[in-house]
Amino acid sequence: MKFTPELSFSGGRVRPLTYDDVDALFELYQQPELPGQRVLENKDNLVRMVDLSVQMAATQRGMMWALEVDDHIIGMVSAFDWQPSLLRTMLRVDGLPQLTLAQRSAALKTCMDFMADKYHLRNFGYQWIEGQNDAIKTMLTDLGFQQSALMRDAWRSGEQSFANVVQFNYVLDKKKPVAGRLGENSDINPGQNLNAADHSNGGDV
Amino acid sequence: MNWNFPAGNFTLRLPLVDQDGAALYDLLKEQTRVDHIPRLAMSVEAQALDELRRMAMRFETREAAFWLVEGAYDQQLLARIGIQKINWMLSSAQLQWELSDAADLPVLQEVMPAVLNFCFAELGLHRIEMRLRAGSEPHEALLQQLGFHYEGCLPAQVEYNDSSVDMALYSFLASDRD
Repeated sequence: MKFTPELSFSGGRVRPLTYDDVDALFELYQQPELPGQRVLENKDNLVRMVDLSVQMAATQRGMMWALEVDDHIIGMVSAFDWQPSLLRTMLRVDGLPQLTLAQRSAALKTCMDFMADKYHLRNFGYQWIEGQNDAIKTMLTDLGFQQSALMRDAWRSGEQSFANVVQFNYVLDKKKPVAGRLGENSDINPGQNLNAADHSNGGDV
Repeated sequence: MNWNFPAGNFTLRLPLVDQDGAALYDLLKEQTRVDHIPRLAMSVEAQALDELRRMAMRFETREAAFWLVEGAYDQQLLARIGIQKINWMLSSAQLQWELSDAADLPVLQEVMPAVLNFCFAELGLHRIEMRLRAGSEPHEALLQQLGFHYEGCLPAQVEYNDSSVDMALYSFLASDRD
């Protein structure tokens, strides 16, 4: 069973995590983007993360992609708090300093397009945390996101310190799926097994 | 830690599965009391028993805590107030309430400071937020009168009655008490 597809975007690709990625992911988490996020010290956590990436995708709780440019991992795209019945998920991109905003944007859009097409998700959220690169907010609005809330002290940046969070949402203007059994009527309800599904983007490529 | 506490002329206590079914059903069988969540009202009393069991399980894992608000003297159930989705890492939780007609602003002005103080002082939380269907009057007015801050509106958060429901977001921080 294959749950997380490999997808190409202009200048790179996103693909499922594998155990071979542990060293590259460890490098990525030596330069955490989020305020207060600790530098990762234990590679074993990343082995567990690769396991989780499969389990979460299989149970439709989340999806993680390695973001590659020139065959080097320089970031990750993650979908989390995925609510299949509510047709929404939250997104996050972690990247090394060399990951450009254009690459970040293209990877994010590719993953959103896949989840909208395959799983009918129509509401994507992204939380920008005070202290992150301001240009990410512009990138999000350029992609179609709109600021929906400024959440005071919603992120813990230290033992006794907190940061504001700006929540963005991108709600697609598209029809909701028709109710049906998983896998029934593959054009409107293709199920989660990419190998079995009739899907132009997310199957074997 | 004692999770039951007084609040002026009212008491807040954790529900008892084998005692509170009828009173909880009486509170939650009215659609107007749960429209803001949004959720369907209860239609049979067995749902109250199921809800009590769920509350107990969620409390066991400290994922949520729901209190029944009663008059200190007549012990009539006025409201259910709870916190859920407690995030101990981020020191935050989501507030939810279902109010009877008697639970008006003066009642809440006695009850809510005690609830918030318990959350901040006893549980060590920093942020309490409420998400409710956008345009839910009088709940939004009550929140503002109680000192909650409006933070925005999260679009299409819930699918309810074939519609996508936008949720207004309000918060109260430990530092808002100063």
